[in-house]
Amino acid sequence: MGFIHFLELILIVVILLAVGIPLFGKLRLKKLVEEVDPTADEYKHLLVRKEETLISIKELEFDFNTGKISEPDYEELRHRLEAEATEILEHLDQMEQAGKKSKSSH
Amino acid sequence: MNDIGEFTLLVALATALYGCVAYVMSARGNRIDLYLSADKTPFIVWACVMISSICLLRAFLTDDFSLQYVWAYSNRELDTFYKVASFWGGQKGSLLFWTLLLTTYMLVVYFQNRSKNLRVVPYAMAVMLVVVVFFLFLINFSTNPFERIPLPPEDGRGLNPLLQNYWMVIHPPTLYLGYVGFTVPFAFAVAALISKDLDDGWIRMTRKWTLISWFFLCMGNLFGASWAYVELGWGGYWAWDPVENAAFMPLLIATAFLHSVMIQEKKDMMKVWNMSLILLTFAMTIFGTFITRSGLIQSVHTFDEATLGYYFLAFLFVIIVACVALIIARLPLLKSANELDSFLSRESSFLFNNLVLLGIAFATFWGTIFPIISEAVRGVKITVGPPFYNQVNVPIGLALLALIGIGPVIAWRRATFSNLKKNFLRPVLAGLVMAVALFPVIPLGNRAEIYTYVTFVLCAFVLTSILTEFYKGTVSRMGLKDESVVGALTTMTWRNKRRYGGYIVHIGVVLIFAGIAGSQAYGTHTEKHLKTGDSFEIRGYTITYEKLIAIEATSVKTRIIAQLAVERDGKRYWTGHPEKEFYKGQNQPVSEVDVLSTWKEDLYMILADFGEDESATIKVYVNPMVSWMWTGGWVIAFGTMISMWPDRLEQRRRLDRVRKQEQLFPSPAQE
Repeated sequence: MGFIHFLELILIVVILLAVGIPLFGKLRLKKLVEEVDPTADEYKHLLVRKEETLISIKELEFDFNTGKISEPDYEELRHRLEAEATEILEHLDQMEQAGKKSKSSH
Repeated sequence: MNDIGEFTLLVALATALYGCVAYVMSARGNRIDLYLSADKTPFIVWACVMISSICLLRAFLTDDFSLQYVWAYSNRELDTFYKVASFWGGQKGSLLFWTLLLTTYMLVVYFQNRSKNLRVVPYAMAVMLVVVVFFLFLINFSTNPFERIPLPPEDGRGLNPLLQNYWMVIHPPTLYLGYVGFTVPFAFAVAALISKDLDDGWIRMTRKWTLISWFFLCMGNLFGASWAYVELGWGGYWAWDPVENAAFMPLLIATAFLHSVMIQEKKDMMKVWNMSLILLTFAMTIFGTFITRSGLIQSVHTFDEATLGYYFLAFLFVIIVACVALIIARLPLLKSANELDSFLSRESSFLFNNLVLLGIAFATFWGTIFPIISEAVRGVKITVGPPFYNQVNVPIGLALLALIGIGPVIAWRRATFSNLKKNFLRPVLAGLVMAVALFPVIPLGNRAEIYTYVTFVLCAFVLTSILTEFYKGTVSRMGLKDESVVGALTTMTWRNKRRYGGYIVHIGVVLIFAGIAGSQAYGTHTEKHLKTGDSFEIRGYTITYEKLIAIEATSVKTRIIAQLAVERDGKRYWTGHPEKEFYKGQNQPVSEVDVLSTWKEDLYMILADFGEDESATIKVYVNPMVSWMWTGGWVIAFGTMISMWPDRLEQRRRLDRVRKQEQLFPSPAQE
């Protein structure tokens, strides 16, 4: 066997060991991810929406300060965004309360 | 070493195949052991492709002409600089180089995301590995760069002289970095579709990747234009060549995508549209490689041995069918949660910008494929040239330019006419001032000149619109925070990197529009046959042909240089040295132009021909405002850098989100 072939053999063995070792441990019993929890997904989505709504309020203020938006529109949109943010925050609060309760009951 | 290079390519293919299967099985079967096994494959594939690339590069640097590819694209006299560039000079090496970049991107994605979102990441890695498998399959079984010549020749054929230019080292890698980069957002989009994790998580995870790829594609196009300008010797920089179009189309669609994802992030809408745009962008990158490697279209860019068209076409077909089927299957989950607040808002201006960009992309696509369709249907080969593209794309391009100026002035969500009137006052006034100032001084004799006039007026409008944004923001901040002008401007830009970086990019685009308009409409050129001492005039320059110089640069390259004195207002201003280079074994000499570039215009000289009596035929172009385009490119680079700079506030918000999620839903952290 030439040196090159020897190197090739070593390479194959190393690769087989690298990809094979995880398959022969006790890991098989463990899950990659927990079952998809729709509540977790919704919570994640709401956190993102909360941020985006707060950023939108900031941008609205900026647009108003730089004269891009009229006062009546500003007031109306701000009111609507604040209501949206409040609704999201309330929803998040409810989920957090429910989460805490279920944790303590466990 | 060649044996190792060839062998590692095969190992890379086998590993990538295993990785695809294992990643998908780990996600479908929810098995961590398979995931951890698959998780080794991105590094192994990258390492194998890297070893293979090093072997090929070594073959070039050591003049190993036993490899057919090295023999075809190098020779002993070639500079080391170009021996390195020869790696991607032909089809075989360019595919290996493409794969090297792809696996490198994949490796970075792997390190960034391997423990982040285990519902999406395994599928994203599998999609990237599928693309890698396709390229490795071609390299291994159809266009192997390690193919041997039984009796190695003494010397190689050498690199095409047209490619022996420093841009050869810069342009293809830049363009490839752009092309290849779009695999990442595409892979995450497909992964989101498969895993049904269809909020905007995939967009946030790949936002930087999209920007980086867009930036490289944009610079790749500009570098290509710059290379064509100095190397091809026809006085221009863009010819609507099919391969130029192939690089331009994904850039247009990616630009549309970059804008429309902002609406999804802000308003949780346009999910189907964004999915479609990233699919189209990726499909266009594959279409670009199809054009270059199909042999169906004649272009200066196509590879000599272009025979892989059908493979790419088949791959393209599979991707489009699979992705469209996935999008249709997930339509109920892709419904928008919101709708536009008002027709008069920045969101709707973004929608128009999307339509306009897609309009230009479609016109360009149609012009590119029409010769293929015509030949297939009627058996007649026709050429779609610049007149078609200019006629269709210039008016749409002007609409796009106008939208760049309109966007910043309109508020998000809703604008009112009274505010618009107030906000548009300055930009419109600037446009009017420009219109009045230019009217008496520039010719308006034909359509091109009228378009150019409109472009300049719109450039003034857009530039004022963007600068007003900076001004208003700075003044507002100064009033609120009691800061100096510089402090307020810097802090405002730094705190809103994405917005103001984007505006700076738009300034670069305006400069490019102005440069294109100026150079297309007001250029002039002449061709003179001269004897030594003869002079002629062009646009106020007096050009005198002084002498012809012959230099044996290397044993294979002879340079014939014309020396031309350029005078302006009676004073010697510059000395031009356009030349022809003759390469041993090549029938056609290569022109090396000489350019005197100023902000106002380029004086562009070509040695077209010369005689034994030392007479010379000289072509001279005066191309106004070309340097504005290259400056625009640097401004775009600066703006993109600001947009991409890591945002601590955003990072903090992300970590805060993850922490809250982990507190409430302990395992795993889904970001």
